[in-house]
Amino acid sequence: MDPEYASLEKAVNLPDLLARVEDDRELLNDLLEMFQTELPGHLEALQESITTGELSVTAKAAHAIKGMLANLSMEKGATLAATVEAAARNGDIQTVKSTFIVFEQETASLSAAVDAFMAGK
Amino acid sequence: MKILIADDEPISLRMLEKTLRRAGYDVVAVKDGRAAAKELCDPEGPRIALLDWIMPELDGPAVCRQVRLRRGQRHIHLVLLTSKNSKQDVVEGLESGADDYLTKPFDPEELKARLHTGQRILQLEDSLLEAREEMRYKATHDSLTSLLNRGTIMELLARELVRTRREKRCTLVVLGDVDHFKLVNDTYGHPVGDEVLREVARRLLASVRSYDFVGRYGGEEFLLVLNNCDASMAMARAEQIRNEICRLPITSTQGPLSISLSLGVFSACGDESETVEDVLSRVDRALYTAKDAGRNCCRLA
Repeated sequence: MDPEYASLEKAVNLPDLLARVEDDRELLNDLLEMFQTELPGHLEALQESITTGELSVTAKAAHAIKGMLANLSMEKGATLAATVEAAARNGDIQTVKSTFIVFEQETASLSAAVDAFMAGK
Repeated sequence: MKILIADDEPISLRMLEKTLRRAGYDVVAVKDGRAAAKELCDPEGPRIALLDWIMPELDGPAVCRQVRLRRGQRHIHLVLLTSKNSKQDVVEGLESGADDYLTKPFDPEELKARLHTGQRILQLEDSLLEAREEMRYKATHDSLTSLLNRGTIMELLARELVRTRREKRCTLVVLGDVDHFKLVNDTYGHPVGDEVLREVARRLLASVRSYDFVGRYGGEEFLLVLNNCDASMAMARAEQIRNEICRLPITSTQGPLSISLSLGVFSACGDESETVEDVLSRVDRALYTAKDAGRNCCRLA
């Protein structure tokens, strides 16, 4: 793997992602830029739904982030989003809240890894 | 081939779009279910689609149900591509009308292989429709002249007579017979007789409107049904047709042949007594009057 991908490799299942984009590095860069643009809005919607206790909205918001992270092979983040989604569907607000804390940390480190990758190109 | 992708998640949409364009598809990308249903219900729209489950306006299964409500139109291969992956979801998705179900994140090779399967199904449908159309054509047309065959022109005549009564208008019915056709066959042989019949058929078709009907009634007899044709114009119209046949000699492999048609003409204007049998009997008698009058002429029943 090229050295510039080292920072990304820690956060993302890179071989899997490169296979999905059929080794199209330009597309990969576009997608990561889109991730940085999309992530804050997704997190805000999720946070707001948890604050207001609207768990059906939480489930939908978590489902949307889960899809985005899974597409980008951000597996740990996608798993945490799936946990939030399932807990929200089950009405388990405690699990939603506790998982969301870990999830926020994970997305922050994902975002930092993507930033580092973009800066290092 | 045109393909629709519907997904409200921009990263997923971009990824799919690029993968499919690279695979040679002409991609139509939309971000909600209503736009997807609109595209797919358009007769010129894509015939293969990848639909996300959760989308604004209409979700993926609702799009499938809406598309399946169309009747008598070509099949559209619908694939749900979603991160909902429980057995219950798969069953619900397929029962909504989807042909296939893929879970996100997708594998490009599997996605392309599944779409190839869809294309094979569509090609199979195309070839079946083509075969059905060919059989329908053969069952309704005369193999020598490609005109409507006797059964079909009779059915159309019956239908037009009913319509004439309903709409209180007139239908012109013309029975034509090639003059001295036996002589053509005896002199030049049957292949030349066939050439003559084909050319007469071509000229007859050229002499009527696109919505008139021309059929081969018998050996060298042709039946024409011209709907919505004023009774006062009947003879003039028949004369035009007769002239179209005899105006120029027919070029055959044995040289130019002067060919003419005798015509029996009847204008059906909605009288209860105008059954198919009655109308045919009238034009037949009129045709024989034309023959008796020296041929290459028209006689009104």
